[in-house]
Amino acid sequence: MNNELYKRKHELWLKILFASFAIDDEAIKSRLYDFSQIAFRHMKWLGEAILENGGDYNYERDMMLYKRQSVFEVLEPLKEDILKTQELYGKSVLFERIKSDESYLLQYLDELLADEKNDQAVEAFSMKNRWDKLDAPSLMSLTMFLFEESYKEYELILVYAYMQARTDSLKEYNVFQDLVDESHFHLKSFGNMMAKLGILALPRELHELTYKITDLKKFIKDGIAEEEAAKEMCRELASSINDERLSSFFTFIDNQENYHIELMKRLLDE
Amino acid sequence: MASVFDGVEMPEGLNPEILEHLMYPHNYGKLDDANGIGIAMDEKTGEYVILYLDIKNDTIDDIRFATNGCQDTVVVGSIFTDMVKEQKISYAQKAVEKVYEKLGSTMSEKQQVCADMVFTSLMAALKNYENLQNGKKEEAHILKMKQSCETPEEQQDEQ
Repeated sequence: MNNELYKRKHELWLKILFASFAIDDEAIKSRLYDFSQIAFRHMKWLGEAILENGGDYNYERDMMLYKRQSVFEVLEPLKEDILKTQELYGKSVLFERIKSDESYLLQYLDELLADEKNDQAVEAFSMKNRWDKLDAPSLMSLTMFLFEESYKEYELILVYAYMQARTDSLKEYNVFQDLVDESHFHLKSFGNMMAKLGILALPRELHELTYKITDLKKFIKDGIAEEEAAKEMCRELASSINDERLSSFFTFIDNQENYHIELMKRLLDE
Repeated sequence: MASVFDGVEMPEGLNPEILEHLMYPHNYGKLDDANGIGIAMDEKTGEYVILYLDIKNDTIDDIRFATNGCQDTVVVGSIFTDMVKEQKISYAQKAVEKVYEKLGSTMSEKQQVCADMVFTSLMAALKNYENLQNGKKEEAHILKMKQSCETPEEQQDEQ
């Protein structure tokens, strides 16, 4: 096991996740999202196995999110990527589990690709940047918020997962897990909104300065300040946006951030 | 002076070119064979810009940057690195002043701080290059930011 495999699994998680965001069909979107969550757990287990064997991993990646125009254009390369990744697995209980999960996903992709009716247009990369009922200032605020926060949620998922894999404290482990789970939900929400706007894009790669944390308390304090800033952005959006459903969504996210801050404060008590 | 900034509004006035930089930032990431690495660090917020240079014959042969900062920082970094890539070092240094002249009045205070982080990281990378050329051992040159990119609410909380 090495970092090359970890990197490929990291990329595969993102590829499945962003395929889920890109595709409009709710049934396909939902199934692919479930598979992306399984892929994230693979990545977590693989990281733990690498550390147990005295190795290390990082979050480097080498991938692009290409502008695709149809469902099959999204699914066909995804299938190829899974097959290529499978060539890297060795023999272990973990690899058997991963291969079994991926074989099931491949079977699902084959079923989808066998039916031409599934090959619908994909608008997620069209850059149309329009949302029904939203006026121009609201749309601009929403766009900037989504770019800002989709990166931030991706960053939080990876940073907390990195620290979770390296802590001996059960309390920290549990708090990190809660924060990772919460950020997955936020990333899902924001990614789907970006796709709806036609501006779906990968969050940029994390530099090691971001996730190799030397001072946890300082990191948490900075994180609380960032949560406060995100809450402020949510409040501004909720009050300024001229769409009632979107407005209540951002109030809901704002309230969720309150509890993140409480969770993070628990880490300061350690 | 390259005309890459002509007609370009900053993120507060989004246009398709800015959207493209947000979706696909240019020159983003690490450079393995860099001979100048600079970091602009905001110790107050933990935000940073790290910039990598590959300099050959006084020319910036290649350039990369990475940041944990906001989207304004990403857009400025993307546009600015395009601008100085394959240019002489002296041009890059002058470009900073020119960009300030050109964009100074159109940027908000927050955007100016973000832009300053990008430019400071370039200065730090050039200093690292100079130090390495003079035989000094230095992994990266770090310059600390004087101004912080905080929301007004955060500043009030501290008072």
